[in-house]
Amino acid sequence: MTEFLTRLRFLLFRKRRDELDEELRFHLEQSIAAKMAAGLTAEEARRQALIDFGGVERAREQCEQERPGLWIDTLLRDVRYSLRILRKSPWFTATVVVTLALGIGANTAIFSVVNAVLLKSLTYPDADRLVNFLRPSAVIANNLHDILEFHFFERQTKIFKEVVAFDAAGPGYNLTGGHPEQVHGIHVTEGYFRVYGAPVLLGRTFTPQEDSPNGGKVVVLSYGLWQRRFGGNPAIVGKSLSLGNEAYTVVGVIGKDFVADPQADLWLPFQFDPVSTDMNHFFYTTGVLQPGVTVAQANAELLAASPGFHREYPILVPQRFTVGPLRDSIIGDARNSLLMMLGAVGLVLLICCANVANLLLVRASVRKREFAVRSALGASRARIVRQLLTESVLLSIAGGILGMALGFAGVRALLALSPVELPRVGEGGSAVVLDWRVLVFTLAVSLLTGILFGLFPAFSALRSDLNFALRESGNRSGIGIHQEKTRSLLVISEVSLALVLLIGSALLIRTFIVLHGVDPGFDPRNVLTMEMSLNGPRYQTAAGVSELLKNGRDRLNALPGVEVAAAGYWLPVDIEDAAAFQIAGRPVRRDCCGSKWMSISPGYLSVFRISVLRGRDFNENDNATAPPVVLINEAFARKFFPNKDPLGQQIRHWGRDETIIGIAPDIHDNGLDMPADALIIAPIAQVSDSYTAATSNIQPLIWLVRTHGDPHQYLSAITEQLRIASDGFPVAHVRTMDEVMGYSTARQSFNMLLLSIFGAVALALAAVGIYGLMAYSVAQRTQEMGIRMALGADRSVIRKFVVWQGMRLVLVGVAAGVVASFGLTRLLSNFLFGVKPWDPAVFTSAPLILVAIALFAVWLPAARASKIDPMQALRME
Amino acid sequence: MSQSTDLLQGTLDLLILKTLALEPMHGWGVAQRIQQVSNDALQIGQGSLYPALYRLEYKGWIKSEWGTSENNRRAKYYRLTAAGRKNLEAELADWDRLSAAITLVLGRTAKVSS
Repeated sequence: MTEFLTRLRFLLFRKRRDELDEELRFHLEQSIAAKMAAGLTAEEARRQALIDFGGVERAREQCEQERPGLWIDTLLRDVRYSLRILRKSPWFTATVVVTLALGIGANTAIFSVVNAVLLKSLTYPDADRLVNFLRPSAVIANNLHDILEFHFFERQTKIFKEVVAFDAAGPGYNLTGGHPEQVHGIHVTEGYFRVYGAPVLLGRTFTPQEDSPNGGKVVVLSYGLWQRRFGGNPAIVGKSLSLGNEAYTVVGVIGKDFVADPQADLWLPFQFDPVSTDMNHFFYTTGVLQPGVTVAQANAELLAASPGFHREYPILVPQRFTVGPLRDSIIGDARNSLLMMLGAVGLVLLICCANVANLLLVRASVRKREFAVRSALGASRARIVRQLLTESVLLSIAGGILGMALGFAGVRALLALSPVELPRVGEGGSAVVLDWRVLVFTLAVSLLTGILFGLFPAFSALRSDLNFALRESGNRSGIGIHQEKTRSLLVISEVSLALVLLIGSALLIRTFIVLHGVDPGFDPRNVLTMEMSLNGPRYQTAAGVSELLKNGRDRLNALPGVEVAAAGYWLPVDIEDAAAFQIAGRPVRRDCCGSKWMSISPGYLSVFRISVLRGRDFNENDNATAPPVVLINEAFARKFFPNKDPLGQQIRHWGRDETIIGIAPDIHDNGLDMPADALIIAPIAQVSDSYTAATSNIQPLIWLVRTHGDPHQYLSAITEQLRIASDGFPVAHVRTMDEVMGYSTARQSFNMLLLSIFGAVALALAAVGIYGLMAYSVAQRTQEMGIRMALGADRSVIRKFVVWQGMRLVLVGVAAGVVASFGLTRLLSNFLFGVKPWDPAVFTSAPLILVAIALFAVWLPAARASKIDPMQALRME
Repeated sequence: MSQSTDLLQGTLDLLILKTLALEPMHGWGVAQRIQQVSNDALQIGQGSLYPALYRLEYKGWIKSEWGTSENNRRAKYYRLTAAGRKNLEAELADWDRLSAAITLVLGRTAKVSS
């Protein structure tokens, strides 16, 4: 410790240099005196003493080197020198800094998104103990649970400290009174706010009393809704508002920045009945593990406790209950996209490094004389290398700062504009911030980049032959074979990296095109969709809902410009409901059967121009008094009736027999890139009352209107008619079906767009690199070309010669790139659809494009070479 | 006239510390003392001596102050600090261990040094 303090003291207070001189002087005098005492004359003594003494300079230097903190001095001196050098050639410095800014900035941009989505820990308290309850069963594959299962989870107090439930989505709530507005709302149990760490701004959240049957009509507002609709009124707690024409009391307001999935404008208590056996209400469940309990242990316990649960409720199909970390379900498959982006952007950075290394090598050859002089003056090679590295690191830190600013702004702009929904990025990318991780990352990348490309000129400086360089003509001739090879290698690697990126983005572009070419199975043009919340007492029965449907459809169909109107609960591309049933006439099996399911009004299929393949569509006569009927799709027929005609067969569902009256064609109900699932379609009028009630409490009704021409022109007329038909309800989320389809491919188009940008940047950089190398090489060899032309070489021969010099490198690079791509595109297979990772079209067209651009880049210097005047060239110095 | 033996840095530090353990002296005095005690076998030149002295001072093991020499000249005297004294004991123990080990390996009998 004392040693450290002593060093610190000497760091701050330097010894004076003349102290050492005085000491040495004394030493010398003593030496002379000793020799004189041994019998030598004064002169002889002095002479011998001086010989013994040796060179003083070395001692001085070594004493100086022993000084602690010397390295800081040297570093500062290097930095000052480097800044001076860089300032002397501003264009060069600017070019390098901008190139680096591109590479580093792109990396920062992607990393800041990766940071927000993958790295930042969830902001909920005890985030790593939060788990989702999953339902991996094959029959009905979703992660929703009903109230019996919820109470079962609550009873496992050994494993879970707390269990909360919340709606998967809301039906939308109509804030009536004043101007009606539909808002997002979900039910939650009272522990939800605690578990998800919701900050309470005003008032409080629900008490256990309020979250039980007859707990009253209470509501908690979100910050956004409070500001927007109630003007941020600080006295809002205790006031009442009108939801679906019923009065609710506001008990609290949640603060800003509460990010939860699903986002909600307001929250209502579930008010579960502890003895309820209502199995029609499904919701998400999240649990907090007891301290010390791992996910594996929890799953084992659940497995052990399940048989008891199923004995108690034998009517339920046995399930395997499992839990998984909450984090995983939030991030989902964004991880793959982001990692791919990170890889791509790393390649771009390598290309930038290669370009900059090339530029620096050119400069190094020009600065040979400077190095020679410094070396002659006593600078060690290590010192020169250190200074060059300092220069490179300074350049890349400057590039890093600029790049970080650009990259960050760029990514925020991109997220604000793009419709893609990445989890956890917040509204328009607001949760993507420049936090310490991003800064450290950028700094590390800058340093590594600087050292990486700085090594090239540093080694070149080491190799320089000093004597040669000091001579007059050292500037022009003798690039050095080694440097030429290095620069050629750099260009080859640039070209191959650029090709890899090009092929990657071409594959994604092809995927995108294929996806858009997929026939979705229906006609989405000119169809308007909008959501209406059926929250309220009138729509708790099938009769109530079908009356609304009839009124609405009649009114809408009467409008000029409307071809056909209908309603349902799901859009064709995104059907998430499922049903469990048995095939009538077959032995009952416990592990069968499940399929996707949805209910529609008559006319739904016509809106989307879907024709029933066999049998008939629903009509007005398929109501509650008529025998229950269903439609199935081809996938269902293939799966459950492979050898039999399904028409007229029956399925057993909700305790009744339902007859299959028609077969519809497959539609892509799960996104365009997945095959169709088996699907049952039922008429809304025939759905059981309890299921209707549950649905009205969970989901909005979707109105679908096909118009002649652009639907937007009829929007106000349509919403007006619906308002009348529903007695004052508003509609929300008005989108055309084309827009909806756009959202479903948003993820792929985002990936494709980004990768194409990277590919284009890589291509440009590689082209610039090739051009630079060729131009420099031509300039260096002007004399040689002049000689050739004087000896009779044709201009076109010169041109061809230069072109061949350049293209030789490009072709090697392309070959290397193709080989590398074969290996790397396998990593992309997750993102490809209908395109193989070694798609021949892409693997031939991408190299051709690259070669064409390279040819262009090489042509310019070649043309300039052919214009050389031989006499001028020979005289050039 | 004389050949300076190439001593390892650490060994030189040890010699200097041991010499200063007896009494404070200036650089010249240290070199002379080492030469005498080793029967002229070890002759430390100023090129090795002063960097070593500076090094030890920067470490805080010796302290320097200006004084007057025997012949009334201004000279810088070095003395051992408490930390230096402690480290000297430690280094001596290390040296004993090391030289015993080397002697064993080389198969030489240990010569008693004066």
